Amino acid sequence: MLSLHHHLPGTTTNANLQFPPTTHLRHSTPFPKTLTLIPPKPHLPPLTPKALLQWNRKPQLSGETPRVVVVTSGKGGVGKTTTTANIGLSLARLGFSVVAIDADVGLRNLDLLLGLENRVNYTVVEVLNGECRLDQALVRDKRWSNFELLCISKPRSKLPIGFGGKALTWLVEALKARGDGTSGNGNGSTGSRSPDFILIDCPAGIDAGFITAITPANEAVLITTPDITALRDADRVTGLLECDGIRDIKMIVNRVRTDMIKGEDMMSVLDVQEMLGLPLLGAIPEDSEVIRSTNRGYPLVLNKPPTLAGLAFEQAAWRLVEQDSMQAVMVEEEPKRGFFSFFGG
Amino acid sequence: MALASIWTVEFRLLSVHPCSPSSSTRTRKIHRFRITNGIPKEVLTRTQEFQQHCTTSVSKFHHQLVTSIPMPQFLVNLNVGSNLPIWVCVAVVVLFASLRTIFSRKKQPPGSVADLVRRGQLRSDRRGISRDPKFEDPFDNPLVKVSKNKSSVEMCGKVYRLAPVTLTQEEQTVHQRRRSRAYQWKRPTVFLKEGDSVPPDVDPDTIRWIPANHPFATTSTDIGEDFAHKNVSQKSGVPFRVQAEHEALQKKLEALQNEEELNKVVINPTNAKELARPFNSHAEKSSLNNQLKDPPSSKLDNGPNHFEIAPSTGEDQNLKL
Ligand SMILES: Nc1ncnc2c1ncn2[C@@H]1O[C@H](COP(=O)(O)OP(=O)(O)OP(=O)(O)O)[C@@H](O)[C@H]1O
Ligand SMILES: [Mg+2]
Repeated sequence: MLSLHHHLPGTTTNANLQFPPTTHLRHSTPFPKTLTLIPPKPHLPPLTPKALLQWNRKPQLSGETPRVVVVTSGKGGVGKTTTTANIGLSLARLGFSVVAIDADVGLRNLDLLLGLENRVNYTVVEVLNGECRLDQALVRDKRWSNFELLCISKPRSKLPIGFGGKALTWLVEALKARGDGTSGNGNGSTGSRSPDFILIDCPAGIDAGFITAITPANEAVLITTPDITALRDADRVTGLLECDGIRDIKMIVNRVRTDMIKGEDMMSVLDVQEMLGLPLLGAIPEDSEVIRSTNRGYPLVLNKPPTLAGLAFEQAAWRLVEQDSMQAVMVEEEPKRGFFSFFGG
Repeated sequence: MALASIWTVEFRLLSVHPCSPSSSTRTRKIHRFRITNGIPKEVLTRTQEFQQHCTTSVSKFHHQLVTSIPMPQFLVNLNVGSNLPIWVCVAVVVLFASLRTIFSRKKQPPGSVADLVRRGQLRSDRRGISRDPKFEDPFDNPLVKVSKNKSSVEMCGKVYRLAPVTLTQEEQTVHQRRRSRAYQWKRPTVFLKEGDSVPPDVDPDTIRWIPANHPFATTSTDIGEDFAHKNVSQKSGVPFRVQAEHEALQKKLEALQNEEELNKVVINPTNAKELARPFNSHAEKSSLNNQLKDPPSSKLDNGPNHFEIAPSTGEDQNLKL
């Protein structure tokens, strides 16, 4: 609303004067944003321009900023990096200031997924060594300038693990102090400000890298695929996170194939939930576009037109902002009902 | 329409048997008879006339085509009549393609950014502009529609059945309790290299043993924790290490100058600055290249060591280089 003011002073002042109660209501009542429970849209007069409506539909940031979220899984290759890239850019597109930290020491590839691999000159190791400042190590995305990438180390260097965890906590503090008063309110300004979200892409396993990566986090997103090996690792990692005092853990079930669930060949998302007992942040379908977007260095959520997995990631990002979870999951494809539905009716 | 079809059928038959003209004419007659069986005679004669006309005009066109375009000998020598339909098709395709390119060119004004993208100067997805995003609700937009009774959702043109999530808070706590029993874990706070001895006041449960040759992690640090903390929170100015290297250099230089003065060789400050330059650039390069394996002290020592070679040769010329 506020930033819109600057763009359209004439039209929106009017609109704003008309709606203060409505906007206030949206701010004060945290309504769940789920698939089943579509919240009542704020009542708007029919003549409201469409652009205004779109600006109005923004998730309501809940919780203290910066929200430090670690994306972890236990098992490798289940989609942590993909999730970090896509949720990170979704958040940036929603106007939040995001710093994504690639804590995958040694095997980093978040920069590749984001297409920023040529712009990483400095990493946290150099910052610790005093060879550059923190702001020099942050790589700002050109597409969404409120998205920044920070890599922990270069492929051939080693992270001094002795105070690696502490170092990440200092990083978070330094990023928090960056804005100095002008804390983020999600209006996407380009200057340096305290981030709303710090996403940490965790390495696989429960090794020193994992311990380092989870240190500064106060919430976790657990990625799993609907297979038994990934689930066992996920359960273990959840246990470790809980032991470490991270209580806010939500899961994303990745690579879901509705066609296989239907044939009882694959665990459904609800089966996964029954085994882990974690609230669902999202269910991402298996989508060949994921690989294509990886090759392009262009995260899926930026695709036009959006794809199934891209939409699912955007929904997950929205729920993350509102600290909400899914209330219903897609189970299987329904057979087309009528003849006319064939024509999209 | 009927005319055209007769025409093509006839030509197809023709092209099937190019080498035996007598048999082809026979089949031609038979077939024409068969096709035109139900058509009144008047129409039939007309048809034949038109057909004749078409054939002549097409062959004329073909002749022009053949004569105007230099053709390889073997193509010209071929039976022209048998290839006629193919040539007609080719001509039509070429005409269509050229028309299409002309039309498509007319659509865009030339010289736009799109041209730069086409020439590979710009990547369309990485232009330095981020448009104001238009937030479409990912739960309710043209591609995602939840049905009225919330039992199904249409996403990207496919309809999926929805099943409600039934996880309750109690179930969550049951799982939490199960996990806390199953995985009793204390976060490791002390990282030791394998083979190191355990310090006396450390709880053995909180030790993490790092193999000495761990590919990504090391327990040895060449920089103190306090310095590292300071470095992370530094907001502006010259980074600590760069500053330190610079100062060490300055000191060496001064020491050198004093030495030189003792030796009564005069170095004026401008010379000294030029002296500093090659070393500075060397230092910058090395930090850019990230030769982190060198401990800082060795790096600092190395530089001036190289350096001392220069004055020992003793000449002003050398120094200016
Ligand atoms: N929803 C999906 N559909 C299809 N392919 C996917 C999906 N999610 C991830 N993948 C593929 O799985 C592979 C691994 O993904 P990714 O690198 O994100 O996993 P990771 O958990 O970060 O791996 P690591 O543990 O090595 O860091 C990639 O090739 C990616 O393209
Ligand atoms: Mg990864």
